[in-house]
Amino acid sequence: MKLLAPLAAAAALFATTALADGHMPDLDGREIVIVTENAYPPLQFIADGKAIGWEYDAMAEVAERLNVTIVYENISWDAMIAAVSEGQYDMGMTGITIREDRAEVVDFSDSYMTSQMVMLVRGDEERFTDAASFAADADLMSAAQPGTTPFYVTVYDVLDGDEANPRIQLMETFGATVQALRTGDVDMVLTDGTAGAGYVEASDGGLKIIGEPLGTEDFGFIFPKGSDLVAPINAAIADMAADGTLEALNTKWFLEYKLGQ
Amino acid sequence: MIPQSPQDRDFPWWLLVAASIAAYLMYRVVSDDLYHAVLTTLSKGIWVTIFVTTVGFSFASLIGLLLATGSLSRFLVIRQLCRFYIEIVRGVPILVLLLYVAFVIAPGMVALVNWALEGIGADPIRTRDFSLMWRAIIALTIGYSAFIAEVFRAGLQSIERGQIEAAEALGLGSWDRFRHIVFPQAFRRIMPPLGNDFIAMIKDSSLVSVLGVLDVTQLGKVTAAGNFRYFETYNVVALIYLIMTVSLSLVLRRIERRLRQKGI
Repeated sequence: MKLLAPLAAAAALFATTALADGHMPDLDGREIVIVTENAYPPLQFIADGKAIGWEYDAMAEVAERLNVTIVYENISWDAMIAAVSEGQYDMGMTGITIREDRAEVVDFSDSYMTSQMVMLVRGDEERFTDAASFAADADLMSAAQPGTTPFYVTVYDVLDGDEANPRIQLMETFGATVQALRTGDVDMVLTDGTAGAGYVEASDGGLKIIGEPLGTEDFGFIFPKGSDLVAPINAAIADMAADGTLEALNTKWFLEYKLGQ
Repeated sequence: MIPQSPQDRDFPWWLLVAASIAAYLMYRVVSDDLYHAVLTTLSKGIWVTIFVTTVGFSFASLIGLLLATGSLSRFLVIRQLCRFYIEIVRGVPILVLLLYVAFVIAPGMVALVNWALEGIGADPIRTRDFSLMWRAIIALTIGYSAFIAEVFRAGLQSIERGQIEAAEALGLGSWDRFRHIVFPQAFRRIMPPLGNDFIAMIKDSSLVSVLGVLDVTQLGKVTAAGNFRYFETYNVVALIYLIMTVSLSLVLRRIERRLRQKGI
């Protein structure tokens, strides 16, 4: 680790200088093993049996710009941060919110996407219309997958900041929280705008989105601590932001692509 | 000879009903695009589920048999070691065992191997080279070997003492007694509970999805996340598991019946 630090610093320096004159660092065909779960549309998901999505497209661009070879592996979200932290994989991607507590065990790339949460409710919901009126009625329940962005936003932006608040029903997967919403076990689930729109679309009027968007979250890729990949990948992200590639991906996956059809 | 129970002569109405439900779902799968798309995605996981289950079950049976004979050993130390393993492992939930093997034991094993490799000057291996699927298989093997050991032990102990004494009187050694007298009879009694464990393992193999191993359950989870249709997706997931478990159950009953008819 001690040996790696100056190396990483050198790489960072190299990346910054490389960026200044418009050239990307060349990693010489190096193999990068990336883990993901394919359970977060439209960032990565399975459609017609193929793994596709915003992040796959973005990494294909990164691979070209940095001259790297990408190998994908699958792991569940529960196990991802631990496995990357231990250095079992070179990088993890699944729309991971950049958070200080996570940054203690993994390194984050710069943000490549900003996400906002929306409130997903049953189609016939009339008891509340926004976060404040939801919080005000102690009978109303929400559900979330522990350790995820919707969970933290529910705790800190909607409710009272108590992570053990009994008004949050914890569930194993995000999809299960939506199912609990549909069956009436809970009354509200937070989700990012795109996935929310996908669920509304597929529900035939069973679900709707209410209120204003909440809690802005920045997504980053994760790396083992001290990874020498952070700097080149940040350079590639900056390059892709500058030349409009990220914006084009947003248009493709968030506006044009129809999920759940 | 154990007499045929009336259950064996019953017409299997339950199977007829189950088959009709399966036929209806199969019809949906071919006629409905959504069901069809779900099945196409999930079918890749069927082999993973079958592989994890059969490999895990084979290893678990082997280890279980060794543990069972060990727990009936003449030597106190072996008996106690086997009991220790069985009691401890049997008391830990499979899910906990799975996470423990994947993230504590597996990295530990890699570190140990690397320590040995360093000794002979070879290149170290990486934790990621130890695939999550094999970590899952090891966890299932460890967990089920304890249960299967108990099944084998009960079967071996059910052979009357008198038979063993008779075999001794005829001058058979301990290996021949085991091979010709005890095991063939015990096996017939072991078959039903062993088959039960096999079926249970097909279902428990779904726990490997917590590691992200792409079995039927994990692919179901991922599919539902992408198409937002829980009901349809899990209908297909359940159908696939039922086809596997019910067909295995039918095969096992056949084998049991044949064993009884042969009277071995």
